[in-house]
Amino acid sequence: MNNDTLYLRRRITNALALGLSTFATLIGLAFLAWILWETLRQGVSAINLNLFTKITAYGEDGGLLNAMVGSLVINFIGIGIATPIGVLAGTWLAEYANRTKLGETIRFLNDILLSAPSIVLGMFVYTIVVLPSKTLTDGSTTYSGLAGGIALALIALPVIVRTTDEMLRLVPSTLREAALSLGVPQWKLTMQVLMRSARSGIITGILLALARISGETAPLLFTAFGNLYTTVNPMDKMASLPQVIYEYANQAGDSIHALAWAGAFIITMFVLILSLLARLILSRNKVSHD
Amino acid sequence: MTESAAAGIHPQATAASAPIAPTKIQVRDLHFYYNGFHALKGINMDIPEKKVTAIIGPSGCGKSTLLRIFNRIYAIYPKLEAKGEIILDEENILDTRYSMNKLRSKVGMVFQKPVPFPMTIFENVAYGIRHHERLSRADMDIRVEQALRSAALWDEVKDKLKQNALGLSGGQQQRLCIARGIALKPEVLLLDEPTSALDPIATSRIEQLVEELKSEYTIVIVTHNMQQAARCSDLTAFMYLGELIEFDRTEQIFTKPSKKQTEDYITGRFG
Amino acid sequence: MQANEAATAPAIAQEQRAHRDARDDRLFSWLLMGCALLVLVCLIGAAGATLWGGRDAFATFGWRFLTSAEWNPTDDVYGALVPVFGTIITSFIALLIAVPVSFGIALYLSEVAPPWLRTPVASAIELLAGIPSIIYGMWGLFVFVPFFSDHIKPLLIRYLGREAGDTPGTEHVSWIAQHLPFMGKLFNSENLFGGSVLTAGIVLAVMIIPFISSVMREVFQTVPTRLKESAYALGSSTWEVSWDIVLPYTRTAVIGGVFLGLGRALGETMAVTFIIGNKMQLSPSLLDPGASIASTIANQFGEAGGLQKSSLMALAFLLFVVTFIVLLIARLMLRRLAQKEGR
Repeated sequence: MNNDTLYLRRRITNALALGLSTFATLIGLAFLAWILWETLRQGVSAINLNLFTKITAYGEDGGLLNAMVGSLVINFIGIGIATPIGVLAGTWLAEYANRTKLGETIRFLNDILLSAPSIVLGMFVYTIVVLPSKTLTDGSTTYSGLAGGIALALIALPVIVRTTDEMLRLVPSTLREAALSLGVPQWKLTMQVLMRSARSGIITGILLALARISGETAPLLFTAFGNLYTTVNPMDKMASLPQVIYEYANQAGDSIHALAWAGAFIITMFVLILSLLARLILSRNKVSHD
Repeated sequence: MTESAAAGIHPQATAASAPIAPTKIQVRDLHFYYNGFHALKGINMDIPEKKVTAIIGPSGCGKSTLLRIFNRIYAIYPKLEAKGEIILDEENILDTRYSMNKLRSKVGMVFQKPVPFPMTIFENVAYGIRHHERLSRADMDIRVEQALRSAALWDEVKDKLKQNALGLSGGQQQRLCIARGIALKPEVLLLDEPTSALDPIATSRIEQLVEELKSEYTIVIVTHNMQQAARCSDLTAFMYLGELIEFDRTEQIFTKPSKKQTEDYITGRFG
Repeated sequence: MQANEAATAPAIAQEQRAHRDARDDRLFSWLLMGCALLVLVCLIGAAGATLWGGRDAFATFGWRFLTSAEWNPTDDVYGALVPVFGTIITSFIALLIAVPVSFGIALYLSEVAPPWLRTPVASAIELLAGIPSIIYGMWGLFVFVPFFSDHIKPLLIRYLGREAGDTPGTEHVSWIAQHLPFMGKLFNSENLFGGSVLTAGIVLAVMIIPFISSVMREVFQTVPTRLKESAYALGSSTWEVSWDIVLPYTRTAVIGGVFLGLGRALGETMAVTFIIGNKMQLSPSLLDPGASIASTIANQFGEAGGLQKSSLMALAFLLFVVTFIVLLIARLMLRRLAQKEGR
């Protein structure tokens, strides 16, 4: 008798716990669906030609052209700076400093930088780029697209370092031995053989870094600042999609909010496509992964 | 040539006492340690020129380790240490002053699993040459063709030299790796269980190739396959627990081994 | 001997090449190390820049900067208590919700779900982590907060807290608030609309769930099968194996994952800025608007000058130090499991 009640209680506990875990998963999926659905619904209804042809200077009658151009320029600068530095740093961790104390420390700190608050990195760039340029130019131009790009580079850097490091460590050591046994020096081996065989993984890392920075807002507010007009000059203040969304969301008016939703929709699509692409590349090269 | 042919007639008690050919590599009191583990314990052996020397023994006996010292590939990993002498053409290659470039252009190596570089077939062979010699386009084409012919691969790949090497079959990849090694015109070719990842047909192609290559190269082959050692080597060394137990002409080892341990191993009593 | 002489010229060339290779290798490794050291520079730079920028605030207010709740640009007096409190309370709410939900998701994905469903569901949950925080902000501000104000807030006030009446004396105090007065304070609100500390905490929870659950799922998979099988062989249920075997075995890494989520929550800026209400007030009620460190900086830094800017820098320094410590703990704990596995 006693046994039966014990068994029953254990069975109920089990069913309850597993039921709750399923419920928790449903909650997570529900939020995902809710967020994506709203972005899609509000975004699609706000999409029109003006978005791509007019600039934010016209306010609610305008579009997002200058913000899109600015975002492209700033992201391009950010990835352009972070890619070579990140790939080389990741290579150092995997090929030169693996299992050394300094290497382990930097790998560890890089993981911390990966989740460090982006707003603080923005303030760092504000201090080292925006402030000095103010004194250099008698206070005329301070904020700039370049400063925004540098801030985004600091956010992209740890992502690229980490994927490069991981991807290179997956390359079988026999490949290194084979090249070295031909008398090839290590730098050539690294750049010409290892990089090539880890290429798709490294590209994935760059795509993920791009996805990560293209939605970043906080560090841009006080580096690139914003601009009502279109510019591609990195020394100018520059608008960006996230920054315009932030400003428009805080203003009143349905048509302004519609513009913000349209921007949000564009960013979301961009980010989702990038991460899908990254996944696709990785799964196609499953051999070198896992 | 005549010398080695003449020497080859005489049966020997041990290869070291009376060589069957001029000695190419002399190993003198070689000890090897990794992380403090004593992996090779005083190896002495004379490897003759333009012969195939096979090294056999149970896994973990140190046969691959020994091979990997011959071109100092072990030196790319930390905490590994070799003591003693390996004399190649009257120079000790373990001497830190011995040029790594020279060593690696003289001693080529082929690994257990085929490791083509992620490049075209042509580039795979040309890659190593470019580092050691500056050749014109035409000369390079000739060199690559020569190497691929010697590796008995030319006919199969001559129409797809610009294709990625990863598209070749396992056996073709391994022959490509051999071509890559001999393209540098080395004097010694080290083969580390070159057929263990291949099917029987590809294996016999490689064995045939080894037979053809020995007229030009001194070949040292590590294998866990005793039939392979019996089939394609002139001399066989048996190693056990980091020691060289017996080193003699292959037929001697496989018919009348002088040591009990060797006999036990080749008759399959352990290992 | 002739061979030796003939070999002399190539030998010299070989020697030169060896020298050149060695030099190139050295230069290359220095270049690489320089790039890697930039990671270090970023971290030290971020800490240094904010500390330097905040020096005036620290010098002017001293310890009062940490204990004062007054943030008054008119009188140029600044204290960090409100944003610090807001950061802690929103992160705490986020963890309170995210930890059990993440555990549920990890459990579902590793033990409950049919194998064919695991990968798609896991990818979907990971997609949540990929959505930029500004999208969470938009959705929070225009969708979630209105929904919360219309449907959930009134219920919370009615059943857990106290509701102000139209005239003094007509306020309604729920049964729970009568017996647990602090609940009445937590769920007391006169602001029926707009963002609050609680909504910010909930949205933060959604944002960190994918991080915590993916760490948990990963570490659950490191539990040796034979360990689980021996427990099943004794007649344990799936839940008992998970709770009694899997969780204790992976405890350190699970805590590491939770700290990783906490680190994210502490530093999260945009989503919180959109929905916390950005009011520099210290209120015990979770339904009132508040401010976090990051939201205060995002809101005010652009227009601030002088001591206010310095105070914001000082806030950023505090945030950086705290998140650094939290993430340090997280990584150390995660690494302990990795080492256990590696050996």
